Amino acid sequence: MTPAMLLVVGAANLLLVPAFLAGVMRKVKALMQGRTGSPVLQPFFDLAKLWRKGETVSETATWVFTWAPRVFLAANVLVAILVPWSGVALMGGLPYAADYVYVLYLMGLGRFFSLLGALDTGSAFGGLGASREATLSVLVEPIVLLSLGALALQSGSTDLSTLFSGPVTPLVAVLSGFALLIAALGELSRMPVDDPTTHLELTMIHEAMILEYSGRGLAQIEAAVWVRACVFFGLASQALLRAWPGFENLGGLAQYGLGLAGLFLVGGLVAVAEGLLVKLNWRRVPHFLAFGIALGLLSALVAAARG
Amino acid sequence: MHLSNLDALTAAAALVAVWMCGVTRLQCLFWGLALQTAGIAAVTAMVGMERHQSSYLLLALVVALAKAVAIPSFLTRTSDRVGAPKDRGVLLAPPLPLFAGCGALAMGFFLTESVAGHQAAHPGAAGMAVSLLLIGMLLMLTRRLAISQVVGFLVLENGIFLYALTQTHGMPLMVEMGVVLDLLVAVMVSGLLIFRLNSSFEHIDVSKLRRLRH
Repeated sequence: MTPAMLLVVGAANLLLVPAFLAGVMRKVKALMQGRTGSPVLQPFFDLAKLWRKGETVSETATWVFTWAPRVFLAANVLVAILVPWSGVALMGGLPYAADYVYVLYLMGLGRFFSLLGALDTGSAFGGLGASREATLSVLVEPIVLLSLGALALQSGSTDLSTLFSGPVTPLVAVLSGFALLIAALGELSRMPVDDPTTHLELTMIHEAMILEYSGRGLAQIEAAVWVRACVFFGLASQALLRAWPGFENLGGLAQYGLGLAGLFLVGGLVAVAEGLLVKLNWRRVPHFLAFGIALGLLSALVAAARG
Repeated sequence: MHLSNLDALTAAAALVAVWMCGVTRLQCLFWGLALQTAGIAAVTAMVGMERHQSSYLLLALVVALAKAVAIPSFLTRTSDRVGAPKDRGVLLAPPLPLFAGCGALAMGFFLTESVAGHQAAHPGAAGMAVSLLLIGMLLMLTRRLAISQVVGFLVLENGIFLYALTQTHGMPLMVEMGVVLDLLVAVMVSGLLIFRLNSSFEHIDVSKLRRLRH
């Protein structure tokens, strides 16, 4: 595949898949609840609608309020370009200079600005949501660091594309994959951690943070959240796919197809689980995420021992 | 390095044990015990196939029926009758035993070479057996309710059983059967004891039992 074609496929992948995944997840969740639900392409319509609408900005808000969604979106898109979440980045065998720790810092940058944006208007909900989001991110970061670190130990490189192209011990892949899945549930504040559709201020995490946004700002945040969901679910499914011996010997196109299938499967399963599970008490969330840290620790342990 | 099926099964049993360190709901604890013991019964059957001894298959069946089905369902009934759905750790807050369990697993993992039996067919299983033993002890130490201490004891026993199974050249069938029977009786007796505790103190919280006379 030529670099130009790769660029086109990568761009299409990045533009279409995240919103489509969001639509599929909404549809599955609606079906689980016995509703017909909105069409699968609804996120695209939502985005177009929000983009056309006017924006209301609080009088006390500063420039941070308008710039936070842009930085948040930019950081998440950059992360999505660097992380091989669908396998498209691995197709051409292009060398990347994306250290996984650097990607973690980029995510941290985006999160920092989304927190600032939530705090900027001085509303009580924004502060509450921001404080919860900050607590969650502290708990989620070690999971991602440990589980990707385990894969890095196995491949002998912290570069993300090398990390996902070498052979991996199946046990490490499974442990890291499930750890990343738990991290995804925490980071994206999905069901056992938080209900993304709730509008009861006592339970909200992410929704409380974006309560002040409207119009284009809201559209940017929504798009960034979908991209981030793709990155996290994609990392989990990519790690789980590595448990299948012989996966790394497959052709680039087959890997990409399986990666997309895995991504949608993981997203669909999360949506199904959201129909069945109840939200955890906020005080018990650290306990839930501790299972992810334990899985990451064990994965790193096995990787260190098997080298 | 490629894991053999038997090693993978023992590792899975040890992973379930680590998970058990982190859960507080008693029902999850019993499910973990049942799953883990079923894994160990499967290991028993695999060892029997390897050594071409049919007595191991019988032993696997007895272990599966008695330890993976009968004991967990008896414990479930007991906890239902006593009315204790949850157990909070007494020494450590809930996530901490989980990390301690990871530590125990790591210890077993890295000590495999020094604890493996002489010329054993599966040296890898020895480390997992030792970590099961340690995790069982951890569960007994950190749990508050008498009934989860029984579960800890059973995990510990699973570790000993696994070690004896994979690292020696096999015990006589009669001895193993006797051990399983003893275990069944021990659990029954402890169940009775838990009932008595509950009826005289109205709780089964061990940390509150400090004086000899009430």
